[in-house]
Amino acid sequence: MECYSEQTCTIFVDGELTVDEARRLRDHLARCQRCRKLVDALRAENRVLGESLHELPEEAAGPVGFPRLRLSWVWGDLAALAAVLALVSIFFAWVDKLRIPEALEWLNPFSANGLTNLIFNLSYNFAHGGTVMLADYAAVVGALFAVLGGGALLLGRRWRLHPPGLHLLVVLLALSLPSFALERRHGEFVTVAANETVDDTLLAAGNTVRVEGVINGDLLAFARTVEVRGTVKGDLISIAKKTVVTGSVEGRIYTFTQSLDLSGQLGHSIYGFAQSLRVDDRSRVGEGIVAAAGDVSLEGEVKRSVDMLLSGNVDVSGSIGRDLSVSGVSPGRSLTLTNTARVGGNLSARVRQLKDVHIADGATIAGKRDIQVQVRKSHFTRPRFYFHQAVWLASAMLVGWLGLALFPGFFQATTQAVGSGWRSLGLGVGVLAGVPLVMVVAAITLVGIPVSLMLLALYLAAIYLAKIWVGAFLGRMLLKPSGVTKRDWMLGLFVGLLILTIVGFIPYLGGLVRLGMVCLGLGAFAWQLYRASRPTIAA
Amino acid sequence: MDAESYSAKGPQPRDGKAKQMEELDLESVIGRARGHDVAALEQIYRRYVRRVFGLCRYMLDSRESAEDATSEVFLKLQRSIESYDGSIPFPRWLLRVAGNQCIDALRRQRRGRQVIVEVEEGATVVEARSAEPSPLGAVMSKEERAQVRDAIARLPENYRLPLVLRYYSELSYDEIAQQLDLQRNYVAALIFRAKQELRRKLAHRSK
Repeated sequence: MECYSEQTCTIFVDGELTVDEARRLRDHLARCQRCRKLVDALRAENRVLGESLHELPEEAAGPVGFPRLRLSWVWGDLAALAAVLALVSIFFAWVDKLRIPEALEWLNPFSANGLTNLIFNLSYNFAHGGTVMLADYAAVVGALFAVLGGGALLLGRRWRLHPPGLHLLVVLLALSLPSFALERRHGEFVTVAANETVDDTLLAAGNTVRVEGVINGDLLAFARTVEVRGTVKGDLISIAKKTVVTGSVEGRIYTFTQSLDLSGQLGHSIYGFAQSLRVDDRSRVGEGIVAAAGDVSLEGEVKRSVDMLLSGNVDVSGSIGRDLSVSGVSPGRSLTLTNTARVGGNLSARVRQLKDVHIADGATIAGKRDIQVQVRKSHFTRPRFYFHQAVWLASAMLVGWLGLALFPGFFQATTQAVGSGWRSLGLGVGVLAGVPLVMVVAAITLVGIPVSLMLLALYLAAIYLAKIWVGAFLGRMLLKPSGVTKRDWMLGLFVGLLILTIVGFIPYLGGLVRLGMVCLGLGAFAWQLYRASRPTIAA
Repeated sequence: MDAESYSAKGPQPRDGKAKQMEELDLESVIGRARGHDVAALEQIYRRYVRRVFGLCRYMLDSRESAEDATSEVFLKLQRSIESYDGSIPFPRWLLRVAGNQCIDALRRQRRGRQVIVEVEEGATVVEARSAEPSPLGAVMSKEERAQVRDAIARLPENYRLPLVLRYYSELSYDEIAQQLDLQRNYVAALIFRAKQELRRKLAHRSK
């Protein structure tokens, strides 16, 4: 009798032949050794198939390998935060002496002053080096994460952000909140009338904020136009299109504004970021000025030093008690000291060309004149550059390894999400642009400040991690590793990061690639967070 | 492979109490789950999530889609468990539900088109019997089994889906035909061809 086909034998082994056919085949097997061998081989094959499939691949070991945020946690944390806030307020009202000394207040990022300082520094960096600087900031945060993660690993604990950890974080953040009396005013037109005195710090938000009376505390103003015609005894913190001070501010001015006009009296210093900064001839600044500004006109009197960190045209016709230092003068812009200008200390300037500096003969400079022409040297010629890149790469690899070790599911899923291309890119652009907006909006309310800061930390961490996810994705795409072991992932990450680093240095294209990388990674991260936060019946 | 032998590979209980929970009678758990008992549903989730996810991962092209499909299966389970009548073992039933979920997901990706389309040559397979022993049958080590999985993952979808449904979900040809909306004979042919393709891939690799 003729032997059965291999397909029929396969169906038989699968137990899918009809009863009659199966019986006939079994009869045949009793007589035919060749078919018996085939059927045995097919059975062995089926066994191997079953065993191989049931032994799930490594990546499937934890389908929900990352902690899923659950709504109840969020509510729990909010409740904990509210309780802590209430306790802290009572505590600080009771032990008022425990406050941070005022002189150090600007260092505390959880105080209004410190926050402005932080925003100012960030803005400066944005303007100075764009995303490169931002990436550097993010690198610091990344390194911090690496140190924390490394420490936790050394202690032998697989640290994850369990609810107790989250609670602790919230409590710590909440504890660092300052407590101070605050009066709020909102509206189209917010005024402090000439005969009015505000004893507390005033938080004013509106189209126009005008102070004609007296504020005994600080003034925090968010408006299109901020005008101080009266007196602010504390600091003026203004985020506005236009800030005008014709009255007096006895503290400091922190400003993030398009134009700042000072024609009144200022007790201490100006710290600011402004497109145009003018200190007119009627005004007097009790201390110094540290600012990044487009056009600067100093006509009045500044008792101490003036530091212009980044500037366009700088015109000095007034008097500066100590040093004047100007750096980062944009090409084509100039530093001018007129006949009436007087500098009590040294003049130092960093310019692109000597002809950008005009010093009138009548100008008085008591100290040294140090004018340096900055020639940009290619950083590729410096060994330090390569050392930095190597450190950068090594720390990124370390962070990547930690990500894989601590959150394998989340890390791998986010890497895969990078592959969705347009979705990640679009989402990333939205997150990159939208989160700072949300942070600013959240920071306007006092309770929102810790939320805003947590968001900032997460934002910077995500910007740092973006390149790791994109690098890992790129590496895997190019290498197409057959396995899914950590070594494959790390090799892919190394190759990907190396390529991204090299491409990042191509003029013009490099910047675009970096931006694209940040957007892709952020988008993938946001998508994964969204997926992780969906309700599930996960145990 | 039955549910019990699989669950031995599942998450290892951390202590005696957890172990006791694991060993609770499945039937009573299902009964309680039918009554929308959240603890029972969670227990079913813990017990079978890896197995369901494994199927989804084999059937769908990305981990992300597999996670989505797994979530869907367990979210829908609160309702769908009412239709489980006990005529087949629960793990097989659950995998059938999961398979359907994956096929729905694949259909959605193709905007409603059928996942596998029968082509002209249909069920007839003209293939000589191979003289050499199958490289598949000789697979012994863990690494080799990983290679087999890798080769399966690289099979074209029309071979991979029936193969996984047969040897992972342990569905019958009829059940697979019903899920994929194909003729039974065509399913048999696809499984046969899938194995041949797999042998070719593995033989190529071992050379």
